[in-house]
Amino acid sequence: MRKTDIPSSRRKFLKTGFIVAGGIVASGILKPFNAVVYASREPKGEGPWYGIGIDIEKCIGCGRCARSCKKENNVPEEPFFFRSWVEQYTIKNDGSVTVESPNGGIDGFKQSVPDDQIFKSFFVPKMCNHCHKSPCVQVCPVGATFDSPDGVVLVDENYCIGCKYCVQACPYGCRYLDPERKVVDKCTLCYHRLKKGLNPACFETCPTKARIYGNLRDKNDPLVEFIRNHTCMVLKPNLNTGSKLFYNALSMEVR
Amino acid sequence: MPQHIKRLIITFAVVIGLFLGFRYLLIPKSFGEYGHYRGEALAENAAKPLHYGGTASCTRCHQDIIDEIHNGHHAGLACEGCHGPSYNHAIYADSARNVALPDSLKLERNTTREYCATCHEKNAARMKILFDTVNKSVIKVIEEKKHNYIPDKETGKILKCIDCHNPHDP
Repeated sequence: MRKTDIPSSRRKFLKTGFIVAGGIVASGILKPFNAVVYASREPKGEGPWYGIGIDIEKCIGCGRCARSCKKENNVPEEPFFFRSWVEQYTIKNDGSVTVESPNGGIDGFKQSVPDDQIFKSFFVPKMCNHCHKSPCVQVCPVGATFDSPDGVVLVDENYCIGCKYCVQACPYGCRYLDPERKVVDKCTLCYHRLKKGLNPACFETCPTKARIYGNLRDKNDPLVEFIRNHTCMVLKPNLNTGSKLFYNALSMEVR
Repeated sequence: MPQHIKRLIITFAVVIGLFLGFRYLLIPKSFGEYGHYRGEALAENAAKPLHYGGTASCTRCHQDIIDEIHNGHHAGLACEGCHGPSYNHAIYADSARNVALPDSLKLERNTTREYCATCHEKNAARMKILFDTVNKSVIKVIEEKKHNYIPDKETGKILKCIDCHNPHDP
């Protein structure tokens, strides 16, 4: 009998390992992550529950959103601190993809790839996705960042200890450490403006109305209409972050 | 009760008491009001200062320009998109009419060719929206380095966009 060659402890370990691995694979097949489900299944509560829609087909990459965001929220002028920015994706004829964001798009874009090499090119405005199951909120050791009852992910700057765990945890790169105040800062969907009944700065200045925000609890809201009438997608749906930033015409190349 | 058990109970009581005392002192009052965070942070975030006043704040003094825009191709653009944040400008002008604005409150008037080109420069990614006649969102594009890129015969300066086009009604 060759059976006794494998010690029983190793046999047990292998058996458990295979069951766990198989279980993970099977659960992935049984319940795939969904992209738009968070627009239709809002949590219980009253008042608005904010979401965002961005129409990539309408964005002309003028960078007005990034400019106005920096001015409204006193974001440092250095090129690597952004709450909101624009990227240009260019898919070339040879199959390679280039992503550019010179100074976050604030000073506009210069086409760097000649026309005859371009298969497709488009702008993608980026900002906080205000996820319903935010990885950044989950890692905060002191409870200084949170998902507000309005569905806006905020930072409590008087309580933040500046450990930058959330900066690493955000899969969309939407956070930075304020170099002067030494606390983490991020898009608040201009919470101070929303509460006064004003549009967030980037929505206010967008010349082509490529951006829309609204209340996902109200099924007649323009945002819900937008999600219903367009083929919307969220960034990195496989991470199951419950992102509430819905892009129309989002290519899989966008990361 | 034996002496060593008594000592143990007292030590435990002191440690737990200190723990609860420190916990009470260290956790902010409003923590846990809505969730695992300081409830006051919501109001603090909402109280941040405004910089953009919205187009509505321009109408009080500049109605003539707003009418001009609304009849032209730049209808629908926000004033502050090109001119920058105007909240403090409007508040000052409202409280002190007929008084000259301090320089710090004057709004941006960027008249360079590059500034117009941030929207109107030819770019492969801009072509889709150019021919999108359904939504009537057609914008004109030019090549900034070619379009009337002629030095003036007398001064040698390159023509500015606004020498020919009125930015409020191009």
